[in-house]
Amino acid sequence: MLSAFKSIPTHMDYKGQKLAEQIFQGVILVSAVIGFIYGFTIQQFGWTVYIMLAGFTISCLLTLPPWPVYRKNHLNWQPAMPETSGENRDKLQEIQKKKKHK
Amino acid sequence: MNTVLSRANSLFAFSLSVMAALTFGCFITTAFKDRSIPVDIHVSKIMIKNVDDFTGPRERSDLGFVTFDISANLQPIFDWNVKELFLYLTAEYSTKSNALNQVVLWDKIVLRGDNTKLNLKDVKSKYFFFDDGNGLRANKNITLTLSWNVVPNAGILPLVMGSGHKSLAFPETYETSKSY
Repeated sequence: MLSAFKSIPTHMDYKGQKLAEQIFQGVILVSAVIGFIYGFTIQQFGWTVYIMLAGFTISCLLTLPPWPVYRKNHLNWQPAMPETSGENRDKLQEIQKKKKHK
Repeated sequence: MNTVLSRANSLFAFSLSVMAALTFGCFITTAFKDRSIPVDIHVSKIMIKNVDDFTGPRERSDLGFVTFDISANLQPIFDWNVKELFLYLTAEYSTKSNALNQVVLWDKIVLRGDNTKLNLKDVKSKYFFFDDGNGLRANKNITLTLSWNVVPNAGILPLVMGSGHKSLAFPETYETSKSY
């Protein structure tokens, strides 16, 4: 069953990771400031913790799953070089000929 | 940050650091507050007996009985950094053998959310008012004060004494064969 979880693709590209980090840091900091001010106003620290937990949940939903917005900047890999595969084939034929002689 | 677990790790660690900073902020907003309030203590009955004391080095020690009233408004002490208050009533006096004696007669725990107006009448002491010897008889100056220990959410636990005390004097003779 674990292999089913592992096979779900969860990658993001590089710019997407940077965006995700900025988003969750921003959301948590904003909810911390709101929570601190609200808790101080009503003089109950419990509400500060609740608002922080709400901010944590929102940023979990926004950044943990790999939304398409995080996959916009694909890395352009170089195309495969065709000469390398030809060289390998030639070498292989040489080795096979040597074996036949022996 | 390529996998879900790595992102979750990052997020969780950041949240914990921010939570720690918020707790420090909570502490710093109440660290220098003066937590003393005026307290009213009245004493309605004073009695003294000379009884067998099995906890001390001598045969008989003085045992005092005090019935008192306490009234105080604890509301100004409770802020967002106070979890509970531990109140205790102390009797302080000096005798010929000891310069300073302090005995706790009664205590109470007041949790956050409990009724903060303290208005107790005719309360008997919870703990025995034993003297180390026989120094309570005809002792003219015994001071009763109410103090409390503030238990915070984050920070130090200060010991505060309430302003307002009551001085009383014990009678000259012992009571005999009267139950409390």
